[in-house]
Amino acid sequence: MAGFSNLDLTPYEGAWTSKEASHLLRRTMYGPSKEDIDTAVKLGLDGIIDELFDIKPLPTPPINFNYGNDPIVPIGESWVGKPYTRSDTSNQQIGSRLASLRSWTVGVAIKEGISLREKMTLFWHNHFVTAEIRDANFAYNNITIYRENFTGNFRDLTKVTTIDTAMLRYLNGTQNSKQRPNENFARELLELFTIGKGPQVAEGDYTNYTEHDIGEISKILTGWVALGYLSRNQEIAESRFVPNRHDTSTKTLSARFGQVQIPDMADQEYQHLIDIIFQQDEVANFIARKVYRWFVYYEIDDQIEQNIIKPMASILRDADYEMEPMLRALLSSQHFYDAYAVGAIIKNPFDFIVGLIKVLQVDYGSNYQEQYNLWRRFYGFSGLLQQDYFNAPTVAGWKAYYQEPLYYRSWINASTISSRFLFSSLIVNGMRVNRIMLQADLLNLIEGIEDRHDPNALIDNLGEILFPEAITDGQKEYLKSLLIPGLPDYEWTVEYDLYKTNPEDEELKNALNARLQTMLIGMLSLPEYQLS
Amino acid sequence: MKRRDFLRSGSVLSLPIALGGSNVGVLAQTQLGQLMPENSDRIFVLIQQNGGNDGLNTIIPIDQYGTLTSLRSDILVPENQILTLTEETGMHPAMPGLKDVFDEGDLGIIQNVGYPNQNRSHFRSTDIWDTGSVATEVLNNGWIGRYLDTRFPGFPEGYPNEETPHPIAITLGPTVSETCQGIAANFSLAINDPTALANIPGTEGGELPDLPYGYELDFIRQVVAQTNIYAEILSATAEAGTNLSQLYPDPGQNPLADQLKTVAQLISGGLQTKIYVVNINGFDTHANQVDGGDATTGIHAQLLANLSEAIHAFMDDIRLQGNDQRVVGATRSEFGRQIASNGSLGTDHGDAAPLMVFGSCVQSQILGDNPTIPNDPGPRSGVPAQIDFKDVFGSILMDWFGVAENEVSDLFSHDFQHMALIDPCQTTTADHLDIHDAFFIRAYPNPFFEEITAEFNTEGGELRMSLVNESGQEVLYLGTSFFSPGKQQVSHQISELPAGHYYYRLQGRQINKSISLLHF
Repeated sequence: MAGFSNLDLTPYEGAWTSKEASHLLRRTMYGPSKEDIDTAVKLGLDGIIDELFDIKPLPTPPINFNYGNDPIVPIGESWVGKPYTRSDTSNQQIGSRLASLRSWTVGVAIKEGISLREKMTLFWHNHFVTAEIRDANFAYNNITIYRENFTGNFRDLTKVTTIDTAMLRYLNGTQNSKQRPNENFARELLELFTIGKGPQVAEGDYTNYTEHDIGEISKILTGWVALGYLSRNQEIAESRFVPNRHDTSTKTLSARFGQVQIPDMADQEYQHLIDIIFQQDEVANFIARKVYRWFVYYEIDDQIEQNIIKPMASILRDADYEMEPMLRALLSSQHFYDAYAVGAIIKNPFDFIVGLIKVLQVDYGSNYQEQYNLWRRFYGFSGLLQQDYFNAPTVAGWKAYYQEPLYYRSWINASTISSRFLFSSLIVNGMRVNRIMLQADLLNLIEGIEDRHDPNALIDNLGEILFPEAITDGQKEYLKSLLIPGLPDYEWTVEYDLYKTNPEDEELKNALNARLQTMLIGMLSLPEYQLS
Repeated sequence: MKRRDFLRSGSVLSLPIALGGSNVGVLAQTQLGQLMPENSDRIFVLIQQNGGNDGLNTIIPIDQYGTLTSLRSDILVPENQILTLTEETGMHPAMPGLKDVFDEGDLGIIQNVGYPNQNRSHFRSTDIWDTGSVATEVLNNGWIGRYLDTRFPGFPEGYPNEETPHPIAITLGPTVSETCQGIAANFSLAINDPTALANIPGTEGGELPDLPYGYELDFIRQVVAQTNIYAEILSATAEAGTNLSQLYPDPGQNPLADQLKTVAQLISGGLQTKIYVVNINGFDTHANQVDGGDATTGIHAQLLANLSEAIHAFMDDIRLQGNDQRVVGATRSEFGRQIASNGSLGTDHGDAAPLMVFGSCVQSQILGDNPTIPNDPGPRSGVPAQIDFKDVFGSILMDWFGVAENEVSDLFSHDFQHMALIDPCQTTTADHLDIHDAFFIRAYPNPFFEEITAEFNTEGGELRMSLVNESGQEVLYLGTSFFSPGKQQVSHQISELPAGHYYYRLQGRQINKSISLLHF
C-alpha cells in the first residue's frame, strides 16, 4: 500500500507539530481553533490525549426557550423530568421540547472545548440508533447515557441500552411479549449492536448467529415495557419488567453460541444473554471496526484487519470491554498519524456545520432565547445536509459509516455540495436569525495570526486551521487574487496597518472585512475544506 | 477492483479518451452501435419500497384467504373489500389508482419475487437487490451501474459530452442510489430540487497523492465539477417542463408522488436522463401496520395508498405529455414479510413478495401463481421465492434497452431466464395537452433567505399565497391579492422560518399550484 508505512498500533514517536496536533483535534472535537491547536502542541501527544479523555461536568440540561403557555415549565427552566400537560392540544409543548433538545445538542457541541465527549456521543448514537422519538425526555435520557459513558464499558452500555425506554419503543421491545413475540430488537442486537452479521453460509445462518437465535433472543427479551411516553401524569419515561409478559421457557441458542441453554431468569435474563454474546471474540472485532471507521478511514482490508483491528479488539477484551484503553491506543498510534490517515475523512454534516461556526468564531450572543433560535437554525442545516441528529435514516445509522462502496462519500452529492457551499457563504457574509444579524467577525478571527500583515502568511496560517494538508501554490495565488485582486502584496499590508492605526475608521474596516469575506468563501469552497 | 486504480486528476470536461486497445472499450462500442438510435430515448424508473413490503397484504391471494385468516387475521383486510383483479387475485383496497392502471392494461404484477437463500437483514438484502448479486456473493457496484458502464464506457472521465450532455441517471432524494454505482463512479446525480444546485467557485487543485486523502479529494472534485456542469441543464429543463396531470396530491402529502412529479417534469422539459430512482420509505412494519379494529387503515394502507396514487398520477402525466411510450417503471423491496402476523398488529422480516412493472409498453398480466399458504407454515415462515428478481430486471434490460441475452447473463453472474414483461406499446387514447397552455409558475431565489419572488401566469382573480412545509402544513400565510390576467410577479419578505424544504403555494378559485423551494 503506497505511502503507508505504519501498520500497527505502535505508539507515535515522530515530530509533534501543529500538523499532527490539528489532525488529532479535527478527528476528536468539532472545529478546533488556532488556540486549541497551539494548546495541543504545547501539551504534547500524551498531554492532549489526557485532556481529550478528561471527564468534565455534564452540560446543564436543555430549557424551555420558546413555549410561553407551558403551565409546568416556565421559559428559562428545564423540562427534563417533567411530564406533558393535558392543555397541549395542538402538540406545541411536544414540538417545543423537541426543538429545545435539538437546539441544545448543537449548542453543547459548539460550546465544548477540547474533549472527545461530543464526537463519542454521536458515535454511540450512530451505533445504538434510536429515531422517531417524539417524547423529548425519552430522547434526552437515551443520549445522556452515551454522553455520560462516552469512553465507558461497551458491554454495560449494551445492557443499559437494551432496556432504555427510547430503544424499547424504537425497536418494538415494548411490544415484545410471551403472547406476541416481536423480533425487531433481537435481530438488530446481533446484527448491528454487538456481534455483527457474517457471510450467509447456509439458509438462515449468518456465520456469527442464525435465524433460530433471533427467535430465541426475542423470547429472552420479552417482558420489558417502556412506560410514560408523552405522559401527562407524574410518571415519566420508565422501563419496567412485567413478569406475565415474559416467556419463562428455557431458550436454546444455536451452535454459533455453543447451544447454550438459558433458563428463566426473569428481569436478569437479558443481562445474562448479553454476557453470553460478549463471550464471542467477534463482538470486539465488530466494534473495533466501527471505531476505526469513525476516527481513521473506512477501508478495512486484510492488512488493516490483521494489524490494527485485531490488536484493537484484543486491547478491548483485555480491558473487559472498557473503551478507553483501545481508543487511547488508536489515537496515539503511528498508524493514526501516518500520511495514510491524514485528511481521509469527509466531514459529516454535523461536523461541517458545528466546525464552521466554531472555526469562524461566530458570535452567538448571550441571550439564551436567541442562542436556542440560532442553534435550531443550525440543526436544520444539518438536516438539509442529510444528518438529522436524533433521526438517523435507519437503525444501521448513517450510511457513511457502513455502506459500501461509498462510505463517507455518501454525504457528498450535487445537492449537498451545493448546500454546503451556500451555507458557508451565508455564514461568512452574514445571516439574519429572527432579529439577530449573525456574522463572523473576520478581522477579529485573524487577530490570532501573528503574520497577518503579510497576505501570504495570512493565507498559509488560515490554511493550517482549515485544511488537513497544505494546498497548492496555485490555490494560494487564487485565494490571494480574491483578497487583493490584481494588486501587489504590500497593498494588503499597507491597508491593514492603516486599519490597525485607525480602528475606528468604519469605511476602511468594512472594506477590509469585505476582502476577507471574499477570500474566506473561496477557501471554504475548496474541496479540501470538506476533508478532516 | 480497488478504487485507486481509477484515480484520475484530469478534468471531467475533457473529451472521452479514444477507445481501442482495451477489450471493455471494444465491446461497449459494438454494443453502442447495435442499440443506440432506436432505443436512445427510453427511460426506466425504479421505485424502491424501503423496509420490506408486506406483499401478502399488497397483492392478495384471494384463493388462500381462508388460511391467511388463521395466520394473520388481525392485519388481513376483509375479503369483500379486496379490489379484485382476477378471480384468485386482488389488491389492497387502498390502491384504486393502481387498479385503474391495471385495468388500462399498463400494469404487470410478478408474483413471489426474491432470490434463493433469502437474507433477512435489511442491509444485506438491500445490498443484494442493489448489486444484483446472488446471496453468497458480495459485489460493490450496482446492476444498473454495471449496465451503464457498458453503455457509457469510462464514465465519469469525459462526461458530459456532445452525445451525452445530460446526467445519465438521477436519484430523487438525499443520496445517490447504490443500484447506479458503477465501477469507477456512481452514475446517479442526487437531487432534491432541480433548480437548487449551486455554481461552486474554485480553481484547479494539484496532483492527487496515492493515498486516501487523494482518493477522497478526487471524488469531491468530481462532484463539484459535475454539479457545476449540470446545475444549469437541470434548472433549464425543470423550467421548460410542466406537469399536466390533475391527479397529483398537494405537495407534501405524498413524498413519492412529489418525487415522481419532478421526474415527469424533467422528462417533459427534455432531460435525456435514462434512469430515475425514487424512494418510498417506511415498509418495516413490525408494529401497528394496521389500525386496531380496522385492517384497511393504518401505516401499511397509507403507504400503499401513496404508492398507488403516485404511480397513477405519474402515468397519467406522462400520457398527457405524450411521453408514455418512452417510460417503463418497476417497484422493488428488499424482502416480503412473514406469513403470520406477530401480535403487535405487525409483521416481521420474511422472504419473497410481488413486484410491479408499469408503463404503456408493459404486458398487463399477473405473472406467476399465487403463493400457496400451508395451514401450518411453521414459525417465522415467509413466502418462498419462485421468480428471481435478477430475471425481472434482466428482462427489462433486454427488452427495453436492447441488451443482448448473453450480456445480461454476464451482468448478473446468474443463470438468466428471460421473462416476457414488455409488450408492443399501447396506443394512447388521450389527447396530448399543449404544454404552452398549461399553468406556469416559478419562484426564486432558490434557496431563498429573506425574500422570495414568484412569477406565474393567471387568468386573473383573487389568489391566496402561502408557504407549506414538507408535511403539507401551511406554515406561513403570505397574503391574498387580486391579479389581472397575464404574467404576474409578486415578492414577499420572509422572517422567522426554520431552514428546510418548503412549497410556495398559490390557491385560487380555479387553481391550486405549488412549487418546491429550499430555505436557508
